[in-house]
Amino acid sequence: MNTWIIIMAAGLGSYLFRLSMIILTSRIAMPPYLERASGLVTPAAFAALAAAGVAAACSGLGITQAAAPLVAVAAAIMAVLRTGSSQAAILAGMPALWVAIPLLPS
Amino acid sequence: MISLRAYRSDVAAGARTMAPWLAGVVPFGLVIGVSAAHADIPTVAGWLTGPLIYAGSAQVATIGMLDAGAAPVVVVASALIINIRLIFYSATMARYWRGTPWWWRLVAAYLLVDPSVAVGLNGYRRLSRGRAHAHYFGGAVLLWVSWLAAIGAGATVGAGLPAWLHLEFVMPLFLVGEAVPKLANPAQRRAIFAAAAVALLALSAPLQLGIALATAVGVTAGLTVRPDEPGHSPHPLQPTVEVLR
Repeated sequence: MNTWIIIMAAGLGSYLFRLSMIILTSRIAMPPYLERASGLVTPAAFAALAAAGVAAACSGLGITQAAAPLVAVAAAIMAVLRTGSSQAAILAGMPALWVAIPLLPS
Repeated sequence: MISLRAYRSDVAAGARTMAPWLAGVVPFGLVIGVSAAHADIPTVAGWLTGPLIYAGSAQVATIGMLDAGAAPVVVVASALIINIRLIFYSATMARYWRGTPWWWRLVAAYLLVDPSVAVGLNGYRRLSRGRAHAHYFGGAVLLWVSWLAAIGAGATVGAGLPAWLHLEFVMPLFLVGEAVPKLANPAQRRAIFAAAAVALLALSAPLQLGIALATAVGVTAGLTVRPDEPGHSPHPLQPTVEVLR
């Protein structure tokens, strides 16, 4: 299965989700645990992708420079906590990465 | 009866109601576009997640997992699990679209995503049914156009930028930024820490199954928090109705 088919399959499935209850019924009670679980999927998936992404960035930079992405993540976390804005993570994290990489021995 | 022409002022009002949402949606679209340009997939394919999947979180997961070389089934399943909330939105809007023509339900359902639900409900709770349809359509179409334009702009600009910028790190930082505010909610906090820990432990898992496994473990861990625990969100869909998740 190539990239295009994967994206089309995910798109078709998403569209069927959108259409599902409109076609099937107008009122259906979802089990409470399913509603709770749906609110947890995105944070869990994002955390997993973030952890894997940071680990990949660290391993791609070599042993000594591997700390640079961690510095960037720390700056991002502090910026978000300070400003309350998610977008501050990129605004603080990327410059921290650009500064940290040349400062660390390669 | 759907008559967008007769309710042109409501189409415009829906677009105006949607406008403030774009402040959050457009940067998110730009980040996805930049990530698509730097991922190990055709840039057009990354952009195509916009019109086809049309839900930011699932697009992020799809691009990220394709870039990481995950198995096709894992990629599709992950995107659909993230998008399962669309079933709830579908159920929410179904009552308002009962008795409308098929073409309307097919188009309106396609445009269904977090901000369009919020703007749509705003109209359906105040206006007559016909006017509310126009209100929903105006907001939803503006959102759709803005989203695709933002991803396209991000992909175009991102592809021409130098490697030393390490733009591949934009997405992990974006995800960190999205996760940090959710730490205030006990269930989401537990889900985030459990998922991150399992993702790191399962880095060498075959077919990139580690991400899917970590997500499942995170959700399970989050469900162990009792709903009546202090700080728990009274409705799990509430926090997700922010931007084009």
